[in-house]
Amino acid sequence: MSSVLRMEREGEIDMAAEPLRHSILRAEGVSKQYGSVTVLSDVTLDILPGEIHAIIGENGAGKSTFMRLLSGYIEPTAGTLALNGEHVRFAKPEQAQDAGIALVHQEILLAEALTVAENLFLGRELMRNGVVDDRTMLRLATEKLAELGCLVSPNALVRNIALADRQLVQIARALLDDYRIVIFDEPTAVLAGDEVERLLAIILQLKKQGAAVLYISHRLDEVQRLADKVTVLRDGKKIGTYPGRTLTQMDMARLMVGRDLAALYPEKRTKAAGEAMLTVRDLSVPGFAKNVSFQVHKSEILGFAGMIGAGRTELFEGIMGLRPATGTIELEGKPINIRSPRAVLDAGIGYLTEDRKGKGLLLHERLAPNLTLSALARFHPGIFLRRSREQDALRAAVEQYDIRLKSFGVKAGQLSGGNQQKLLLAKVLLITPSVVVIDEPTRGIDIANKAQIYAFIQGLVAEGKACIVISSEMQELIGLCDRILVMRQGRLRGEVSGEAMTEHNVALLATSDAAADGNVGGTK
Amino acid sequence: MYTTKWIAAAAVGALLIAGQALAADKKVVAVSIPAADHGWTAGIVYHAQAAAKEINAAFPNVEVIVKTSPSASAQVSALEDLSAGRKLDALVILPYTSEELTTPVKAVKDAGTFITVVDRGLNDSSIQDLYLAGDNIAVGRNTAKFLIDRLEGKGNLVVLRGIPTVIDDERIKGFQDAIQGTDLKVLDIQYANWNSDEAFKLMQDYLAKYPQIDAVWANDDDMLLGVLEAVKQSGRKDIKLALGGNGMKDIVKKVIDGDAMTPVETPYPPAMIKTAIYMTVANIVGQAPVRGTVKLDAPLITQENAKEYYFPDSPF
Amino acid sequence: MTIMASSTAIRPEREWNIGWTDVGPFVALIVLMLIGFLINPDFLSATNLANVITRSAFIAIIAVGATFVISSGGLDLSVGSMAAFITGITILFMNRMAAEWGMMAIPAGMMVAIVVGFLCGLMNGLIVTIGRIEPFIATLGTMGIFRALITYMSDGGSIPIDRSLRDAYRPVYFGTLAGIPLPIIISVAVAAVASFILYKMKYGRKCAAVGANEDVARYSGISIIKTRTIAYAIQGTCVAVAAICYVPRLGAATPTTGVLWELQVITAVVIGGTALRGGKGHVWGTVAGAVILELIANLMVLSDFVSEYLVAGVQGVIIIIAMLIQRFSK
Repeated sequence: MSSVLRMEREGEIDMAAEPLRHSILRAEGVSKQYGSVTVLSDVTLDILPGEIHAIIGENGAGKSTFMRLLSGYIEPTAGTLALNGEHVRFAKPEQAQDAGIALVHQEILLAEALTVAENLFLGRELMRNGVVDDRTMLRLATEKLAELGCLVSPNALVRNIALADRQLVQIARALLDDYRIVIFDEPTAVLAGDEVERLLAIILQLKKQGAAVLYISHRLDEVQRLADKVTVLRDGKKIGTYPGRTLTQMDMARLMVGRDLAALYPEKRTKAAGEAMLTVRDLSVPGFAKNVSFQVHKSEILGFAGMIGAGRTELFEGIMGLRPATGTIELEGKPINIRSPRAVLDAGIGYLTEDRKGKGLLLHERLAPNLTLSALARFHPGIFLRRSREQDALRAAVEQYDIRLKSFGVKAGQLSGGNQQKLLLAKVLLITPSVVVIDEPTRGIDIANKAQIYAFIQGLVAEGKACIVISSEMQELIGLCDRILVMRQGRLRGEVSGEAMTEHNVALLATSDAAADGNVGGTK
Repeated sequence: MYTTKWIAAAAVGALLIAGQALAADKKVVAVSIPAADHGWTAGIVYHAQAAAKEINAAFPNVEVIVKTSPSASAQVSALEDLSAGRKLDALVILPYTSEELTTPVKAVKDAGTFITVVDRGLNDSSIQDLYLAGDNIAVGRNTAKFLIDRLEGKGNLVVLRGIPTVIDDERIKGFQDAIQGTDLKVLDIQYANWNSDEAFKLMQDYLAKYPQIDAVWANDDDMLLGVLEAVKQSGRKDIKLALGGNGMKDIVKKVIDGDAMTPVETPYPPAMIKTAIYMTVANIVGQAPVRGTVKLDAPLITQENAKEYYFPDSPF
Repeated sequence: MTIMASSTAIRPEREWNIGWTDVGPFVALIVLMLIGFLINPDFLSATNLANVITRSAFIAIIAVGATFVISSGGLDLSVGSMAAFITGITILFMNRMAAEWGMMAIPAGMMVAIVVGFLCGLMNGLIVTIGRIEPFIATLGTMGIFRALITYMSDGGSIPIDRSLRDAYRPVYFGTLAGIPLPIIISVAVAAVASFILYKMKYGRKCAAVGANEDVARYSGISIIKTRTIAYAIQGTCVAVAAICYVPRLGAATPTTGVLWELQVITAVVIGGTALRGGKGHVWGTVAGAVILELIANLMVLSDFVSEYLVAGVQGVIIIIAMLIQRFSK
């Protein structure tokens, strides 16, 4: 018997053993089918007040379907929901809302051109004497935001507030009505560092106030810290519900994937880094980064850590010629003109954006045109493009990067997040860069794909390329990188490597001036 | 910085006032007409400017100001501008539309200005001192009479209409009333918006639809140009006559040259604006009485009298 | 590390991936023709069809250019006025040179038209890209400029072509080659070249990428400015080709030449299946769209069902129905 199977059985909570507390919401044998496809099958779950219940699973495991069932976006094809023991049906999200179920969406769904207060009350404006009652709404908005520790003015335009604050506004919007159950769908996907901390504190407070919290996340460390119970879904089926504290992250990963995983991170390269590959000197991106200088070497994985807003992404957009920037960069001793994105790409620096849906891939376009978009020159020997060459390149990429698809004719938007990321990686590598910059390599990607992407990155440096990884997940940087540079407020604040690469040290550099600028006891 | 601006503004203002004082002893006649956006209005602009030039040269104590406007609302604004700083002795106006211009013109009238209205009437005829227009009903009637005569009272006709307006309606009405009771049959009548290209297409369609067409009437010469081109392309021999209207110089030239398909023309001459300006000035300068309504006839232009209606320098 | 090998076979991409957007305009075209035939059998006569398709040539040629602009995420409202302006310049040039160069004035004038058209388009493009002005506003501005220029050049009247050139030039619109009217051949040639550029060349890919998602294009090392500007220059050149075919039809440029063509052009492009917000362009769909517009107008005249007062309304309804069918059959 494999260890996974044993764990599946033995770790489970015996539901019958705790009959004393009443579940506020109970899903009884719910299933959802689309035509012949079953996306959720016979899931039974109890949600208790004052408890944080995490639901984890790989992409496609049925988590979002389950959430949408509970919040009235879809109706189950079989099974029932019971609220306080009474049978309920939600045909519309409004009905679930009225029943006290608040859903915080994963994507930020706010009207950017409206103010914070206007967004909070969008579609349910308060009226007095037939006109919109701005004053009361403003007051309520202020109260609600203060409750969540969000300091933005209710009169600020959403366009002008930070991503983390937008997330809080979205939460405030969900919590505006009376709620007893709050569902969070990947709330920290777009947040980093202390913003995550702030959100987790809010969730713990909700729990303390007696709300039932349903929490979906890819970030297993958060799940481990927060969850009282963890329910694992796999292929639409419930594998089991486990007490949160007893599961390690590795356990959770195993349960999600259903087989034993080797280490998530590939083994680090042992031989010393080669000669300098990319040298950046005094690079400034007005408003975002100031006088940043660093080097990355052949066969080295260099990490960039920092909070959101530290200027990491903007720094590299500057290097790539995507933003106005000053400073010099040299690739293997040759200076590169950073005015033009084309010139930088051609020189051999590839960049995978953190926003793969918005800036990386044409979601409505097929895979081949996406793959070849930045390397078109290679596919037209004469004046015409060679489709056959494109198809060959796609076939090779699909094989090499294990991109899972049903047909070569699908559009990029139809791939799962992990496969999109692999396609994007293949796209960038098509220009045969010698330095590959990967911004948030595994954002929104399930654990199996994560492991693969780490392996690909390791593979790149094994070929002698240099890799730069920008990530808000410290675990990831520590597990993957040879060296980590930390940025705060647009400046490079220090470097950690070797034994000194700990979450504590990185966080210290990323958040406060307490640590003297410079190396934190690195072993070189 | 701030004060310099004020001083400059004051200086400019003083100059303006002085300029007006100088002009004050002149009689001012304002002419407000649509901007040249097609052949006929281009003719209006041409003749209005010609009249202004002639009169300004001939009568040193009269100043004729011509103002063109590209839309009804622009014309309203133009009237306000014209009457704002000075007293107008007379206003000659060809209104864009009757409805929108009535009130603004009345405001000018109330300030004591002599009002001459040309072509398109205002909704309230008591505003005008002098009204001068062509006879659109006669344009249609005279053309119809000629066709009845030439085709000996029977045959198949197709007709092209302009832009849906009173002018178009009157022409069509005059035409249809005149052919009533004859064996002339109007096979089809459609809008081509006084536009050569649209008339070309419409005529092509007429030719495809009807195997036997004896005559075509386009109630404007711009459209006639398109019609003639379509007929020429089709190579059809059944079309005996193709007539237009308005007195475009190219068509008048055809009449002079004795063209078989277009032997006659009806005038609706843009030069009527010139008549109106001269009459208005006559009232101001010579105190010649001109109040009333003048309807210019629309006699048939034939080879004999065509020279009288031919202005080779006019754009129309 | 275990990486699962993909065991299931992946279906290959079909060589021709034809969706409703691709065939929709052609289906609509055929349906319209059938309706036309039922209403009036003369509709399908060779002469009528030749006439209708021939006169849709201007809109088709300009709309092929507009397919580039719209595909790349832009818009050009100035095409109608630009056509009039180019027509005016071309005629003035030909008339001027007729005395010295004789018939050679015609090809020389055509070259002038192409150069002027290219420059007008380039100007539009630079205002939009370098000047960073919304295409709608920028080309609304140039639309006014071109319209004013042609009105000025013609004194509000018309600019007729010299009589000595008239007959020699006439065949460009009225002539045929192997029984097919020349304007049809010219528009097919323009569309063929355009579809090669759009589907077979690097530029076409860039154009669609810029229109689909500017950021993705930029991050892929594609210059937005260059791509868009070229699209406008192509548009200008197409307008010039249309103007060259237009001159011999009526032999004159007037201030009303090309009025509202921009709307017909945009309608043709959209009926043809190219999204107004940009993305993949459908050149042949655009051509079909231009023919559909002209066919509807023709049908209105050939049928006796519709009062002359309601023709424009019925055309509007047909266009909206056509778009709704496309929208809901996806």
